[in-house]
Amino acid sequence: MAAVAEPTHEPAAAIELDQLSLGWRDKVAVRDLSGCFRRGSLTAVVGPNGAGKSTLLRGIMGWVTPLAGRIRVNASADSLAFMPQQGDFDRSFPIAARDFVAMGAWRRVGPWRGFCRSERQRVEDALHAVGLGDFGRRPLATLSGGQLQRALFARLMLHDADIVMLDEPFSAVDRATTEDLMTLLMQWHERGKTVIVVLHDLELVRRHFPQTLLLAGQGVAWCDTEAALTPENLHLARHLCAGDYL
Amino acid sequence: MNGIELLYMPFAEFGFMRRALAGSVALALAAGPLGVFLILRRMSLMGDAMAHAILPGVAVGFLTAGLSLTAMTIGGMLTGLLVAMLAAGVARLTPQREDASFAAFYLVSLGVGVLLISLRGSNMDLIHVLFGSVLGLDDGALILVSVTASVSLLVLAVIFRPLVMECLDPLFLRSESRMGPVVHALFLLLLVMTLVAGFQVLGTLMVVGIMMLPAAAARFWVVSVAGQMALAAWLGAIASYAGLLFSYYANVPASPAIILCAGIVYFVSVTTGPQGGLWQVARQARARRLRLSRIPERD
Amino acid sequence: MPFDDLMLRHRARRRQVLLALAGGSALTAAPVWGRTPEAPLPVVATFSILGDMLREVGGERVAVTTIVGVNGDVHRFEPSPRDAKALLEARVLVLNGLDFETWLPRLVQASGFAGQQVLASDGVPVRRLNAEEGHDGHEHDAAPNDDDAHGDHAHDGHAHGEADPHAWQSLENGMIYARNIARGLAQADPRNAAYYASRAESYISRMRALDNEIRTGFAAIPKERRRVITAHDSFGYFGDAYGIEFIPVAGLSNQAEPSAADLARIVRITRESRVSGIFIENMTNPALAQQIARETGVLMGGTLYADALGPADEPAGTYLGMVSWNAGRLLYVLRQAGN
Repeated sequence: MAAVAEPTHEPAAAIELDQLSLGWRDKVAVRDLSGCFRRGSLTAVVGPNGAGKSTLLRGIMGWVTPLAGRIRVNASADSLAFMPQQGDFDRSFPIAARDFVAMGAWRRVGPWRGFCRSERQRVEDALHAVGLGDFGRRPLATLSGGQLQRALFARLMLHDADIVMLDEPFSAVDRATTEDLMTLLMQWHERGKTVIVVLHDLELVRRHFPQTLLLAGQGVAWCDTEAALTPENLHLARHLCAGDYL
Repeated sequence: MNGIELLYMPFAEFGFMRRALAGSVALALAAGPLGVFLILRRMSLMGDAMAHAILPGVAVGFLTAGLSLTAMTIGGMLTGLLVAMLAAGVARLTPQREDASFAAFYLVSLGVGVLLISLRGSNMDLIHVLFGSVLGLDDGALILVSVTASVSLLVLAVIFRPLVMECLDPLFLRSESRMGPVVHALFLLLLVMTLVAGFQVLGTLMVVGIMMLPAAAARFWVVSVAGQMALAAWLGAIASYAGLLFSYYANVPASPAIILCAGIVYFVSVTTGPQGGLWQVARQARARRLRLSRIPERD
Repeated sequence: MPFDDLMLRHRARRRQVLLALAGGSALTAAPVWGRTPEAPLPVVATFSILGDMLREVGGERVAVTTIVGVNGDVHRFEPSPRDAKALLEARVLVLNGLDFETWLPRLVQASGFAGQQVLASDGVPVRRLNAEEGHDGHEHDAAPNDDDAHGDHAHDGHAHGEADPHAWQSLENGMIYARNIARGLAQADPRNAAYYASRAESYISRMRALDNEIRTGFAAIPKERRRVITAHDSFGYFGDAYGIEFIPVAGLSNQAEPSAADLARIVRITRESRVSGIFIENMTNPALAQQIARETGVLMGGTLYADALGPADEPAGTYLGMVSWNAGRLLYVLRQAGN
């Protein structure tokens, strides 16, 4: 039996999970997970398909009610940002890239307030930071997959939240874009944000992520990456999920 | 009478023409922007379905109080909202999707409505409800349409941003705010209100035409959402004006004439519109072929 | 034995009494002997107005079936098998004639009706139809005109020179109708001829009384004001009889939706003709009529009954009731217009 390393409890925990079970009546996606995401940490969440990774993030957002256990988010609701998996929005909607990115300012601007100059500057800065500085006026529908992903990152940046969660942000994106956006995530991490990313690419995880949560319906490992991603743990995870690949 | 006079003389001479114009323009101003949103949300057929869903409410109003505007309006609104809520409820609580549940409920509603009207009224009454009487608008109907249009446009302006977000990326809106369901419900309310006011003017069969045709045409001229809304309202107003003139000079019934003009506007837009119209597509294809044929052959 | 004698005598007495009673009752039935009990004469009327007249003239001696009933449209009527059956079982058919019931010849042939046909309008001075558009009104003679007298007019709608079938609108003609009906019934049922004749006469005297009342009423109104618009030219005879100009304007009745051109034409004619009122028939969309009234400032007169009676419990449920109602509405409107 591979050892499940104990998560280290620190007072400055951004998100705490206590015996958490998440799922629906007929299927439990996450069983009995305990641990915490430390403030300012950069954690990768990995596991086979159907391991409950997306469900976990949605649970933290409050979109899935826990079947058992607790989730404690030590930050205001304003300070929690989430980028779901990409299939969810209407790409052909007639909106300019800039306006799409500007949606990220909702917390400050709300449904009615206008965009003051400083806010508009932030939108421009975000576009530049992701490399879309000249693309502001382009309609969303004309952006390529990689450009769209950059726009999503820009929108997330505008939110300026303390805790940022991303669900498979690099799944349909080329190498160059992945590297650029990964740099951005590192910058956020350096600025003190808590960053949690669900990923499939283990090589990327090993290169950039200090912490990893290996999930397979239940917690297999939650510690620093090297200790988590041992062959035994991976094999166990695969076995637990009867999953196809990692 | 010279050409310009032909365009305004009927309205100058006859009060009923002016009323008809006022009523149908007011309706077009409210219906066009709503139609744009229906199209963006891929709910284009929902407008037609909703127009049929309000029929039993109108019928009950008609049966209890005759051709009374208030009764039919209240009845229509209650049934429309009831159908929308039931459909949404079924979609949320069962595996059935909202478009299927809505189809089921509106068809039942339509059958009930036709039955009720045939019970008490003659076929003539049914036809009057179905076709409306744009040439017979009295003060009450005019006021209803104008007030509805104003309220509808005002509310749309207020909820514009969250409504766009709800269409474009509902999950994102959900992560940012709880306004999503509220905005969705408000939109449906506006839709029902406009349809109920509109059936007085154009009848339940045609009111959807003035809602969807200009909206469908607008996307061939303008890209932005706000631009499409404004253009749809304007195109609908033009179609109303042209349709009334058509009815006057060609001696054809008025509300189908208006919808036909809206149809012509649509066809012109599909063919000549700069944003994806057929001519533009053909021109671009030709230009591409030309460009490709000019690439020199490599050895 | 004395007791037996008593009993015998009692029994005899009882038998005598019974015989006497039987004889007496036989005698009272004597007038009925030699005749079979009478069933009413089955008759068919083509539409409700004739049906009502038949009932008045025929009384309890007839059983009336009406083909086109209350509020029905004779022009657009389509006969059903039930009508053919009713016709076959009848012995007398009363029709209006003057090309009013275009569907009748085929129905008669299909049903195999072999009874007596009564032409109610026989002998009525026939009026020729104007064009459907309102003219400055011509005065037509009561006698039929030559066809070429008005040949220079161009008309749409009815061909000019066609007979106007709505002869019953004039009470004078109504009297002729009643007499024709009585004569026809008498031919089919000679035994009750006197009955029918006397009933017809009393009906006619009621018609005359009403006619006088109406004439007096209209005479009090100046000629220029006696001008109204109706949607259909069914009131020609009424207009001739009482001096009222009916301007028929097509395009308001029985259409799903009118065009702006129709409505404009009506408004224009109303304004130009300086009429006192606008009358619609039973089936029009009231919203449009109200629109015209609003636009022109002319009084809405309400409903006039032209080709059919109203329901039996309403004022226009009988022929006399209908004429009285129409006259009443017209008088009311024409009087109001003067103020």
